[in-house]
Amino acid sequence: MTRILPSLLSRSGLRSVTASLLMATALPLAALAAPEGELRIAVGADATTFHPHVNSLPVGNAVDGLVFQQLFRIDGDNKVVPALAKEWDWSEDGMTFTVTFETGHKFSNGKPLDAEAVAASFNQLLDPDSGSIFAGLYSSLGEAEAQGEDTVVFHMAEKNGHVLMLLANTAASIIDTEANAEMGAEYGFYPVGSGPYMVDEFIGGERFSLVPNPDYEGPRPATLEKITFMAVPEDGSRMALLETGEVDIVDRVPAESIDTINALDNAEVILPDSMFSISMEMVLNGPLEDKRVREALNISLDRDGMVQGILGGLGTPSEGQVGPGTEDALRVTFEPKPYDVERAKALLEEAGYGPGNKLELTVNCPNGRYIKDAQVCQALVGQWQAIGIDAQARVLDLPSWSAAHRVPLEERTYDMSMIGRATAGIDFTLYRLFHTGVSANTTGFSDERVDSLLAEGRATTDIDEQKEIYAEVQKIIWDEMPFVFLWYQKQAIGISDKVEGFTIRPDETMLFDDVHVSVDG
Amino acid sequence: MFVLKRLLVAVPTLFAVSLLAFWFVALIPGDPAAQLAGNMATDEEIADIRHHLGLDRPPFERYALFLRGVVDPEVATSYRTSRPVVQEITERLPKTLIIAVGGLVIGLAFGVVTGVICALRQGGWFDATVTVLTLAGISMPIYWLGLLCIWLFAVTLGWLPAAGAATPAHYVLPVLVVATRPAALFSRLVTANLLEVMGKDYLDTARSKGLAERTVILRHALRNSLVAAVSVAGVQFGGMLGGSVVTETVFGVPGLGRLLVSAVGSSDYPVIQYCVLLFAVFFVLINLATDLLGQWLDPRTRDYAAA
Repeated sequence: MTRILPSLLSRSGLRSVTASLLMATALPLAALAAPEGELRIAVGADATTFHPHVNSLPVGNAVDGLVFQQLFRIDGDNKVVPALAKEWDWSEDGMTFTVTFETGHKFSNGKPLDAEAVAASFNQLLDPDSGSIFAGLYSSLGEAEAQGEDTVVFHMAEKNGHVLMLLANTAASIIDTEANAEMGAEYGFYPVGSGPYMVDEFIGGERFSLVPNPDYEGPRPATLEKITFMAVPEDGSRMALLETGEVDIVDRVPAESIDTINALDNAEVILPDSMFSISMEMVLNGPLEDKRVREALNISLDRDGMVQGILGGLGTPSEGQVGPGTEDALRVTFEPKPYDVERAKALLEEAGYGPGNKLELTVNCPNGRYIKDAQVCQALVGQWQAIGIDAQARVLDLPSWSAAHRVPLEERTYDMSMIGRATAGIDFTLYRLFHTGVSANTTGFSDERVDSLLAEGRATTDIDEQKEIYAEVQKIIWDEMPFVFLWYQKQAIGISDKVEGFTIRPDETMLFDDVHVSVDG
Repeated sequence: MFVLKRLLVAVPTLFAVSLLAFWFVALIPGDPAAQLAGNMATDEEIADIRHHLGLDRPPFERYALFLRGVVDPEVATSYRTSRPVVQEITERLPKTLIIAVGGLVIGLAFGVVTGVICALRQGGWFDATVTVLTLAGISMPIYWLGLLCIWLFAVTLGWLPAAGAATPAHYVLPVLVVATRPAALFSRLVTANLLEVMGKDYLDTARSKGLAERTVILRHALRNSLVAAVSVAGVQFGGMLGGSVVTETVFGVPGLGRLLVSAVGSSDYPVIQYCVLLFAVFFVLINLATDLLGQWLDPRTRDYAAA
C-alpha cells in the first residue's frame, strides 16, 4: 500500500532520508522568512466546529490542516504524502499496521506530541461514544497502541489496504485528548494542536482568525501573520467584499458574477476541479430495473448544453462515477454518455414504453444544495418529456430530500434523486454506494462480481492489484448505469492579485502552505 | 400589581409555546443524526450518533430534559457544536438587538419628525417628497434594498463596509435599512393622526388660551397620536426580530435570525426550540411594554386596565 505514495518513497530506507531532506531544506527557509501580511477570506458556509472528529465542512478541514499535524496528509495535487510519519509497515497477515513518526513536536499548550498522544487521539476518533462522526469510517483501524516514544501500532479490526488514505484525511488530525476533555465543546473553537497556526479569535457565525503558533517547528512554517475567515452566506454581499477589497479571497462565486469579478483590475476567478460528482441516483426497483430504460435516460440529456446554459460553465460532464481527485491513482475515466435522442426513443420502445404506455417518473431534487439544482431538475424533466416520458420534478427542502433516501427501497415514492458525492477515497465511495446490502447504497444496486471485487480491493495492499480491481468495478458501474451520470462541479474562487501561492484541493479544502500576500497592495 | 398579573398570565402562554416548540420541531422531516453523519453514512453509524445525542430516549424524557434546560444551561446543548445553547444565543442576541432596536429608534425618530412637519405643511414640497419616500420605504423588500445599499455605499462610494459585524461601522447600513419600514409607517401614521385631531375641540381650547400653534401640536395633539404609534411600534419590533434573518443574511451579521435558520437547515433541534421559546418571551415582554407605555400616554386606559 505504501506504493500509493510517489515511487521515491516506496522503500523504507529512502523514506526517512527524504523526510530528513525535507526538514533540512525547509527549516532554514523558515528561519529566513518571517510571517508577513494578513489574508482575509469570505466563505459562504459558517464554520460550526474545528474538532476534526466532528467536522465535515471544507472550511473546517482547511483550519484543521493548519492547526493540527497528522501522520500523513493530502497535498495540493491530492496525493497522500507523509507528514509526521517516517516509516510504516504492515505485518505479514495484514492485521497490524505500524507507523514510526518524527518526535520533538509539541502541542500549543506545551505537551509533547508523543506516541501516547497519537494513540489517544486515534482511540477517541474510533470511539462512537465520544461523539465522533467518523467512528464508522475508521472502524477498520481497530485500536491504536503506543510503543515507545515514536511508534504507534494499529491493531486492525479488518484488513484494509486503504489505511494511508484514511490516515491522510483531516479527520485523522492528532488532537490533544486531555485538553479536549478539560475544554469540552470549546475545544472545537479553540483547538489545541501542534500545527503551524492556532486559532486566535472565534466569533460564531461571523469570523475567526488564525495566527502563527510560536512553538511550531517543522517543514510547513506559517507564512502569514494572520488568516481571517468571514462567513457571508449571501452571494452578492460576498462578491461585494472582494470588489471593495475588504477580503482577498471569496469562495462559491456564482456563475453570473464571474465576468464582473474578472473585469476588476485587481482580482480574477479561478475554476479548479471539484471531486463533487453530481448524478441522479435511481431506485432500482420497478421500471428502472430495466437496463435499456436506464440507458435511454442517460443518453437523452444534452449535458454540454446544460453545463453552459444552466450552470454557467461551472461543471464538466461525468466521465465515471468518481470525481477528479478521488485517488487519481485508482480512478479510471470513460467517454461521457453520448447525446442520442433517437437511440433513447428506440430503447424505450424496446423496453415496452410508448405513447400508449408512458413511463412515469418522479424525480427528487434538493433546493440550494448543489449549483442550480432546482433548475437542473426542471431541465432534466423537460428533456425526458421530450422523448415521451411522463416525468415530474419534485423539488424538496434539504431535510425532506435527505430523509427520502433513508426510506426502505420498496417504500420510496420517487424513482430518482439528485445527489452529489465527494469523498477522498475510492474504496469508501464505491463500497458504500455499490456493495450489496450496505445501508448507504441508496439505489439497491447489487452485482455479485462488484461485491467480490470490492471485498478483494479492500483486503489487498498492492497498488497494482488495486488498480486492476477498481478499474473493473468502475467499468461495470459505468456500463450498468445505476445512476444518470450528470457532471462534476467546478469550484469558482475569486482571488485578489495580492495573493500568491494559494491552492485549493478538489475536495474544496483550501491550502495555505506557500501563501503570501503582497503587503504594499 | 398589573405588571405582576400580566407576567403570571404569560406563564401558561410560554408553557404552551414550549410544548409546541418541542413537539413541532420533532415533526420536521429529517434526522439530526443523519444530517451530522453525512449522506454516505450507514444506518449503524447514524444509530451511534443518535444514541450520543440522546435522540433514542423516550419523547417525554427528552421533553423533561428540554424544560430542565431552561434553568440548567448545561443540559441544553447544540447538536452541531456541542456548546450550551445559552452560549450560542448570548453571543448572537446583542447583534440582533442592536439592529432591531437601532432600526426602531431611528425609524420612530424620523417618522415622528417628518410626520409632524407633513401635518403642519400639508400639500407642500416636503409633504410630497416624504409621501413618495414613505411609499417606497413601505413597499421595497428589505433584501433588495439591502443589496442596493451595499452596491451604492460600499462598492461604489466606499463609505461603509459591505458585510460583517466587527466594528460599529458595520451596523450602519443594516440599521438604516431596517429603519426604512418603521420610518415610513410612523411618518404616515403620525401625519394622519395629527390631521384627524387638529380640528378637535380640546385643541381649540388650548389655542384659545393663547398657546402658539407649534406648542398646541407638540404638547397636546402629538401625545395622542403617539398612542397609536406605540402599539404599532410593538408589532413592528416583534416583526423585526422575526425578520432579522433577512437583514442578517444580506449583511453577514451573525445574529439570532441566522442562528435559527442555520439550525433549521441542520436539524439542530435544541437551538431551534430554545430560540422559538426566546422569541415568545420577547413577544410577551414587548406586548407588556407596549401596554404600559400606552397607558402612560393615555390615562383613560389605566382605569380600564385596573378594572
